[in-house]
Amino acid sequence: MINLRDKGAEIWERQGRLGRIGIALGGVAIAAALPFMGGTILNTPIADYESVLVYPIAMYVLMAIGLNIVIGKSGLLDLGYVAFFAIGAYTMGLLGTKTSLNTWEILPIGIAMAMFSGIILGVPALKLRGDYLAIITLGFGEIVRIVALNLGALGRSEGIQGIPTPPGIFGIEYAFDSHRIYFWTLLILILLAIWMVRRLSVRRAGRAWESIRQDEDAAELLGVPTFKYKVWAFVLGASVGGAAGVFYASKTLFIAPDNFTLQISILILACVVFGGMGNIWGVILGAVILGYLPDRIRFLSDARLLVFGLVLVIMMNLRPDGLLPRKKREKAIVKKDAP
Amino acid sequence: MKFGGVTALNDVTFDVKKQEILGLIGPNGAGKTTVFNVITGVYQITSGEISFDGNSLAGVKRYRITQRGIARTFQNIRLWGDMTALENVLTATDTHKKSGLVSGLFGLPVSRREEKRDKARAQELLDFIGIGEYADRLAKNLPYGVQRRLEIARAMGAEPKLLLLDEPAAGFNPAEKVELAATIRKIRDAGYTVLLIEHDMSLVMKVSDRVVVLDFGQKIADDSPRNVQDDPRVIEAYLGVPEDAS
Amino acid sequence: MIGNFLDQFWSLTFGGLSLGFIYILIALGYTMVYGVLRMINFANSEIFMVGTFATIIIVRDVFNFTQTSEYATGFRLWLILGTALVFAMVVSGVLSMLVEIVAYRRLRRMNSGILAPLISAIGVSMVLAESVRILTDSRPVASPRAMEKKFLGQFFDAGIRIDNTIIVISALFLFGVLITFVNKTRMGKAIRAVSMNPNAARLMGINIDGVVSATFLVGGLMTGAAGFFYVLKYENTSSNIGFELGIAAFTAAILGGIGNIKGAFYGGLALGLLETYASFFLGTQWKAVTVFIVLVLILYTRPNGLFGEALTQTRA
Repeated sequence: MINLRDKGAEIWERQGRLGRIGIALGGVAIAAALPFMGGTILNTPIADYESVLVYPIAMYVLMAIGLNIVIGKSGLLDLGYVAFFAIGAYTMGLLGTKTSLNTWEILPIGIAMAMFSGIILGVPALKLRGDYLAIITLGFGEIVRIVALNLGALGRSEGIQGIPTPPGIFGIEYAFDSHRIYFWTLLILILLAIWMVRRLSVRRAGRAWESIRQDEDAAELLGVPTFKYKVWAFVLGASVGGAAGVFYASKTLFIAPDNFTLQISILILACVVFGGMGNIWGVILGAVILGYLPDRIRFLSDARLLVFGLVLVIMMNLRPDGLLPRKKREKAIVKKDAP
Repeated sequence: MKFGGVTALNDVTFDVKKQEILGLIGPNGAGKTTVFNVITGVYQITSGEISFDGNSLAGVKRYRITQRGIARTFQNIRLWGDMTALENVLTATDTHKKSGLVSGLFGLPVSRREEKRDKARAQELLDFIGIGEYADRLAKNLPYGVQRRLEIARAMGAEPKLLLLDEPAAGFNPAEKVELAATIRKIRDAGYTVLLIEHDMSLVMKVSDRVVVLDFGQKIADDSPRNVQDDPRVIEAYLGVPEDAS
Repeated sequence: MIGNFLDQFWSLTFGGLSLGFIYILIALGYTMVYGVLRMINFANSEIFMVGTFATIIIVRDVFNFTQTSEYATGFRLWLILGTALVFAMVVSGVLSMLVEIVAYRRLRRMNSGILAPLISAIGVSMVLAESVRILTDSRPVASPRAMEKKFLGQFFDAGIRIDNTIIVISALFLFGVLITFVNKTRMGKAIRAVSMNPNAARLMGINIDGVVSATFLVGGLMTGAAGFFYVLKYENTSSNIGFELGIAAFTAAILGGIGNIKGAFYGGLALGLLETYASFFLGTQWKAVTVFIVLVLILYTRPNGLFGEALTQTRA
């Protein structure tokens, strides 16, 4: 099979600065043009194509990038990521309906709430390793959902209705059915997230996470403050999830505990693993495919989740490292020159 | 140092003097690696005391011990295979940085400055050890000898006052061992203090200023290499083959 | 409230015990696989679900019971119960083995880490749950009652129902058989060897593939039995009960120390009782949170579970 990752890396490395900017802009342009491609083969039967682009696709991409920091880069198994998504969404829901704050004002609050819960979960949980961490995070995710299900203030099983859409900025209106606007807003968030991750990857934080993932004990003995950086990974991952949640609530106008099940945590996990852990492009690709697939195959109607499950099993067995395995191999050009 | 009912180290007391090379030897199971683990904070001592540079190390977190100036290599190589040689060393240099995640994210001047400085330092260390050309190769793809030396370069990246080398010559042929001995001396001359565990007797004797011998968790000798070689207790511990090159 | 509880204590306790035994059996499915492969077999919850349906198929379709049939008695009753139990166990056991061969074996050979098998397991879970859901039209399925649920006697004012009794006694028996199997038979010892040190086991000539298959088979047998007992007690099932019970049983396995068979026993009982009591005090909707909070607390204070062996972590 062609190694997409290496081919891509090769092409990228051959470019000068200008070439790279060109490729990046081209990529963004294609992504931005997606809402206009509804008339092509990309169209989803039954569900509205542009709506699907926003949720699940763009949201999954955003969350997959966040979860990738935790699992892909740092090697921390988090099975309860949906909790941060839920906290962001419920923050938006509560503040949006009970106060006069608008989405833009609530966004930083929602992100802060998610980050705060990342600390609350992380500080005790990250003292455990491997499977135990996985179980605790799974429990946390479920606890958040069940609490939302049972607290009157959060609307119990009916959830929260009538959440306001964001007010227009720069003259752009956010009607709940103008999916494109939401999509482009999310695209900006995604680009911000990508920037954040790439930035950190080449500095101390990225190295710390990598060393923790590969050999945490050795890292500690060579001076890496492992606990601190593990919590940071959680917090940053949470911030991204929270941001996604705020927009989710602001778009769908009503949220309920059923929207934040373990299934979503697992789905995002699947995006990360399926796409290629640690590799941000792989993860994005994985999220796009797994977000897109169930709606694309709606013509299979009732059987689509079944097919989805089959895809997971088959894919994992064929390519357990994911579609675009972990990046970072030697620079392709260096390889060519080596004896 | 006790583990449950097993006494791994029984009243092992010794000092390490500044800028000396101290060899730590003993038959298998004598407790040498336990000493390293105690010094680096992997185990907390169950009795006695341990101090470095005038300060106690008891209860100090492992990464802080490193920050105080103690770094080590591992007997079975524990490099971060998916990172390049340079990145392995860079990660060790990170421990003394003032800048962290936030300043890195926003590209603050202090972060950029420290990054640049440490990258140069890391390359310098790789060159010092003689593997500078491998800087951009992934650690897992490096030949064995290079990996062993990378372990040392990485430990040095943490700017340690005390460098612990755990069997650095394992798997080396005689020529490589000679080279390693010269490297260790070079390291000491550059200002580092070295504590060395080794099985190869001739290497240890040639390179060390002083030798401590452990047997079954007890110190049985603490003297110059010459005297230790002739010490009957040491000879007995090794079953009468003190000068056998391994 | 307390007074009420004390009045009902014994009847709650008997209910909790029989639920606990159901949990024990499902927990065994998780714990044995974990012990041998260090892998969380997510699909076990659906193996349980399939076991419940297998039971109903026997009672309803083979023996043709309906809601209005007369109860069976005597020999016929034991025949029906026995057949249903065996059938559920066999179906679940074989299915469990097949799942391993189809979804995990290749990954195990390729040494692909812990996440790939996890995702594969989740995929299997979805396939099984969805298949059954489609076959049942997304509706729960009720089981006709083949056995009259009479009371065998009284204990401190609490009636001892026959179904709870059957569950406790049979499950105890099955557990005993399992312990004997693991300790006395050759395959059982091989399983223990592999869970302690797979490399040494391989070097000693143990056929790892065989051991793994046997582990999945035995785990599946136990889980299938749990399916039978569940239907006996609650008389219904649906395609999605796997998740709820799976999580609870999984929690029980953790409680007892995952990988530890004896631990699964205590963990399952503890959880069954805890859930039943919590349900009484807090209402059924909060019982899941209670379970998770207990789980979280246990993991913080005793991460190896109540009875787990210390799992050594890599050290310098």
